[in-house]
Amino acid sequence: MALGKFLVKRLLQGVFVVWGVVTVMFTLRAVSPGDPANLIVGEAADPHLREQVREQYGLNEPIYVQYADYLQGIVVGDFGYSFQSGRQVEAMVIERVPATLELAIAATIIAILIAVPLGVISASRRNEPADYGATMFSLLGISTPNFWLGLMLILLLAVQLGLFPTGRRPVGLAEALTALATTGYATGLVVWLKHIILPAITLGTYFTALITRLTRSGMLDELGKPYVDATEAKGLPAALIRYKHVLRNTMIPIVTVLGLQLGTLIGGAVITETVFSWPGLGDRLIQALNARDWPLMQGIIVFIGISFVLINIVVDALYASLDPRVIDE
Amino acid sequence: MTTPDDILRVRDLSTRFFTQEGQINAVSELDVRIERGEVFGIVGESGSGKSVTARSIMDLVESPGRITDGEIWFDDAELADAVGDDYPDAVDGTLVNLLELPERVRDSLRGTAFSMIFQDPESSFNPTLTVGEQLAEAVEVQRRASANPRSTRARTREYSLASYALSTVLPSRKYVTPESRERAIELLELVGIPDPVKRADEYPHEYSGGMLQRAMIAQALAGEPDVLIADEPTTALDVTIQAQILDLLDDLQAETGMTILLITHNLGVIARMCDRVGVMYAGEIVERGTLADVFDDHVHPYTEGLLGSIPDLEGARGRLEPIPGNVPSLLDEEMADRCRFADRCPKAMEDCLEHPPEYPAAGSDHHEARCVLAETTYDETRALSEDHFGETERPAADKHAGPEEPDEEPPEEQSHPPTETTGGEHQ
Amino acid sequence: MIPERLRSNLKREFDRSLLAKLGLVLLVGVLLMAVFAPIIATHDPTRTGYVDENGNEYPPRGAEYTTQIGEDGEFVEVEVEPNEEHLLGTNNIGQDVFSRFVYGARTSLLVGLLGTGLAVLMGVPFGLIAGYYGGRVDDVMMRIADVMLAFPSLVLALALIGVFGTSGIGVPDPIVMAGLADGMPESTAIPGTVTIVVALVTWVWFARVARGEAMSVRTEEYVKAARSIGASDWTILRRHVLPNSLTPVIVLATIQVAAVVLLESSLSFLGFSGTTLSWGYEIQRGQDYLRTRWWIATIPGIGIVLSVIAVNLLGDWLRDALDPNIEGERG
Repeated sequence: MALGKFLVKRLLQGVFVVWGVVTVMFTLRAVSPGDPANLIVGEAADPHLREQVREQYGLNEPIYVQYADYLQGIVVGDFGYSFQSGRQVEAMVIERVPATLELAIAATIIAILIAVPLGVISASRRNEPADYGATMFSLLGISTPNFWLGLMLILLLAVQLGLFPTGRRPVGLAEALTALATTGYATGLVVWLKHIILPAITLGTYFTALITRLTRSGMLDELGKPYVDATEAKGLPAALIRYKHVLRNTMIPIVTVLGLQLGTLIGGAVITETVFSWPGLGDRLIQALNARDWPLMQGIIVFIGISFVLINIVVDALYASLDPRVIDE
Repeated sequence: MTTPDDILRVRDLSTRFFTQEGQINAVSELDVRIERGEVFGIVGESGSGKSVTARSIMDLVESPGRITDGEIWFDDAELADAVGDDYPDAVDGTLVNLLELPERVRDSLRGTAFSMIFQDPESSFNPTLTVGEQLAEAVEVQRRASANPRSTRARTREYSLASYALSTVLPSRKYVTPESRERAIELLELVGIPDPVKRADEYPHEYSGGMLQRAMIAQALAGEPDVLIADEPTTALDVTIQAQILDLLDDLQAETGMTILLITHNLGVIARMCDRVGVMYAGEIVERGTLADVFDDHVHPYTEGLLGSIPDLEGARGRLEPIPGNVPSLLDEEMADRCRFADRCPKAMEDCLEHPPEYPAAGSDHHEARCVLAETTYDETRALSEDHFGETERPAADKHAGPEEPDEEPPEEQSHPPTETTGGEHQ
Repeated sequence: MIPERLRSNLKREFDRSLLAKLGLVLLVGVLLMAVFAPIIATHDPTRTGYVDENGNEYPPRGAEYTTQIGEDGEFVEVEVEPNEEHLLGTNNIGQDVFSRFVYGARTSLLVGLLGTGLAVLMGVPFGLIAGYYGGRVDDVMMRIADVMLAFPSLVLALALIGVFGTSGIGVPDPIVMAGLADGMPESTAIPGTVTIVVALVTWVWFARVARGEAMSVRTEEYVKAARSIGASDWTILRRHVLPNSLTPVIVLATIQVAAVVLLESSLSFLGFSGTTLSWGYEIQRGQDYLRTRWWIATIPGIGIVLSVIAVNLLGDWLRDALDPNIEGERG
């Protein structure tokens, strides 16, 4: 019950945030210099044609009408039409979501699988070689720009050693799985896997480093709390104390930190996709930006904003269910 | 050296903290003998080493602290039998020297042989698990131990990361069984928590301080320990609640006959609860004996000072009046080989420049005092001059009353040097 | 200005932390490199020539190089491997990689420091006001902050640059003006838009920290007392609330400099920078030559990593010594 109320409140805040994101984007577009019609038909176009285009895209309406129209469209899932291709923006966004999602999830999995054990080892062998190693690794990880890391991985593992392919991936996960289901051949899946490994490492390294740091320091903090002594005094097995009590309590706040870091993940994805020609949203965002394709850019960024809000609501709900004190506060 | 009815005999125990500032002698060559079924009290100011003593017995001393010397003999025939073959040196009849045993065996005694009640119930429970769950864990420890007594030797090895990983997927592999949960509810009822079924599913922050301290007592009893160590069990509580908690401990002790080591700075609590008492100062016991010995026939001026202004011995409100002068430094390099109280003592004499042994004192057989006054009488002609110890104030008679500082144990604090890391997020 | 206790904490942490010392050495190194770039650089970093005034000095004889002849008969690509003349080789248009590496430090540090400074000036007052007044004011201001947080900083930065474009402000180079270096560019470009944009996308972290501090100070007795004797809100904010929030703001600012350096390099990697003398830009240029001329993309990256490590190490040191509780985001 309390959780429900908490969620409703967070949802309302989320709606406000999405509205804010839409408004900011609309304002940016409104103040951006240049006549959008030029972007669609070119500056030398016939004035008649130009006028027609302005009418078609609603560019002749007063700005507040355009704003209202845009907002209304967003509510029903209509993000307008791309200047460049004339296609529906929502379709152009949706078709690029799976690739980005695959990349983000793969990176997150890599990060969690490596970082949590590393952080635990680091905290429980404090000031031993393993701890120093993990600390140096995480320092490097948070200090390395991911686009450069990506290039270095390509240089070493793909170009020099030939372990991984370069260039745009020929097949997505969905297609690879369909092929597996229909033909029984897993070759597509293997190709997909080979293509995703380097981008996933590139995107995941920063998070691996970050989570390692957070786990280490969080666990050290947590180990210093009086309840740990009390738990030891009860005679519980050390592994139970370390995982059920200490690690669990360490991870609860880390989950919310990661929710807030989702922006970093998406920003990182934009860059990673550029480096690896990964056919995701970030790749398309850069294209839209270079073409000054405002509806598409706006659509992608609003979509990212909505995802951010939704995922953070999920994270908050998770947090609230793991730490009962949150709701009561 | 043994008396048949001793359950615990601590000999020459020294616990030191090796900090950046230097070596801190939190507990020095401490001797304590606790009889089965008695309530033994240790009383002293903040930083006198009483909590470190308790933690040394529980093996909860944390880095940079370490037990550097001594013996802790625990009377347990079953344990003596179990470890006798592997560690013959550690066994003497039914007595076992815990400090001779490896860590995993010592750890296996927690909860079942010894358990502990901590000062601040609110920070001594894991905030993210229900009280019932945490009690059930303690029950489970006991349940598993009694299912296979000899396995105490390896019990802590049984449970690994793999076990935990498995239990997150398979409910049947959880550490805590439904039976233990049932028992946890019974325990809550036993300590007088109304509606225990419902309260078991609540989290620590939903409990009041007094209720939570009851729950902690229940948790400490879950393993049916031989010795219950209560470290300032009432300090964090309201005055009215304090009395209730003491009543509860009293009743439970009468019922189960367990031994209690009660640690407090509060003489009222000592008077109310204990059979015998030791007064601690600067890491050593300066006077010990029965309640009558210490309260009525005390010899040591420090005890005198402690008793100076207790408003109401019967209530739990007795508060220590600060004794003039500073709490002594326990830094090894600053500790002189003299009576550690001499610099604050109104009756310090030339004899006090030598570290006194414990002298038998008038009263019961138990009465001993680490003070030359047990042997001689105060002789003003040999008194030390007021400024013998530099600027330390050492007024004789008139004492000013005032509230005591919040009870903290400086050596403990120093046992957690500023960590290299902090919480919070980076970038 | 710094209380004694903090100073001794800083010193103690510094003395016992090897990493803090390493960070300081690195940072001083990068700073010196940035300031004295014209002296340290061996070539004019912007000079693209293959052919010098005399006709045939570049590339030096004997050096391995490749050239391509463009349609109108000019040499358009000259790449030289590391040699005595060009310590780290040249890039695809014949510019000296080492000199560009040295000058790149200027852009990174300028944007890092100026951008963070600007973000502090924007975020701290915002957060202090929200936290101090609380209630409605706080609600509205924090919802605005929430909106800012919902944008990934890189993405918002890209959108802002989409509107404002990129531009650099040329500033005369004092070292060259003083006649300490010959043949170097006479002015340095500060990427103005990028600096403002990184501030616009990172100020919200400062607002959050300042707000938290203001909220905790607001309920302190001495603030209540100051209010009861009629001190104005402005006075209280300036005299009591601001000083209290300084420690966490300083620590966060240090960490954010690292984040901004990374953000700037990302933006210039994507081609949005006010200057071509930027490590990120150079990496992007080297991207196409990974197979043949690996050093073009590799060298500038080392510069970024070292400077970010330096700032991060210093941030860790400050955080350990001053122990505030803060959060922030990388760009």
